[in-house]
Amino acid sequence: MATITIPTALRQYAGGSASLSLEAETVGSLLRGLVEQHPTLGKHLFSEQGKLRSFVNIYVGDEDIRYLDGQDTPVAAGDTVSIIPAIAGGSYV
Amino acid sequence: MLKLSADAAETIARHAESTYPDECVGLLLGHLEDDDSKVVTRALAVENRWAGQVSLAETDNAESRRDRFYLDPRDYLRADREARAAGMDIVGCYHSHPDYPATPSDRDRVGAQGVGGGTGFAFVIQSVREGRAAEVASWLLVAEGERFEQEDLVKEYL
Repeated sequence: MATITIPTALRQYAGGSASLSLEAETVGSLLRGLVEQHPTLGKHLFSEQGKLRSFVNIYVGDEDIRYLDGQDTPVAAGDTVSIIPAIAGGSYV
Repeated sequence: MLKLSADAAETIARHAESTYPDECVGLLLGHLEDDDSKVVTRALAVENRWAGQVSLAETDNAESRRDRFYLDPRDYLRADREARAAGMDIVGCYHSHPDYPATPSDRDRVGAQGVGGGTGFAFVIQSVREGRAAEVASWLLVAEGERFEQEDLVKEYL
């Protein structure tokens, strides 16, 4: 089982859970398992084309999956996978 | 409603003054109450790492931290671990608007899309005028991320 942590504002779409433990061999299957249990989370994580949204980041331990094998990145039992938002902005146009 | 401890309010104001004329950014640690009020016990200053990592507007200048900020996910992850270890949650973030009102811009809205919105996460904006902290306001991302709505901010609750 790997554990996936959910950031505060997305927990409302995950029945209030801060984390979930699921059986999965890759990050992609872990995310699919999460979305199967909590379908409304799906559109907050993925674009209509099924790609991870640009302000949503997935970390396995301390590593961003964009610099590993993306959703094919393997996960081992006991790994913690984190969903982490990037936040940006600015005052002027 | 956002309840901001005097200590957290002071941290935000001093941080915003220290980075002026650049924008500052940080995270709000605390907990959610049953009525979805957010109680912030601690403001955690984070480095503004804006370097054009994401696209916010056609006028983006990757060099200018005077009117852009970027809260790196690595800093968020570190703060999240710290919060969980202390039995707290990240219940919002803050950034400053140097010589600009404490109202969110469309760039702020675009850059908030990864968060999820709703009443459980506050976007606090600290205005700074000529280097001195001015008004502060708290906003919620509502209507499926289409706009911000101001919420009550109470200081010195704790």
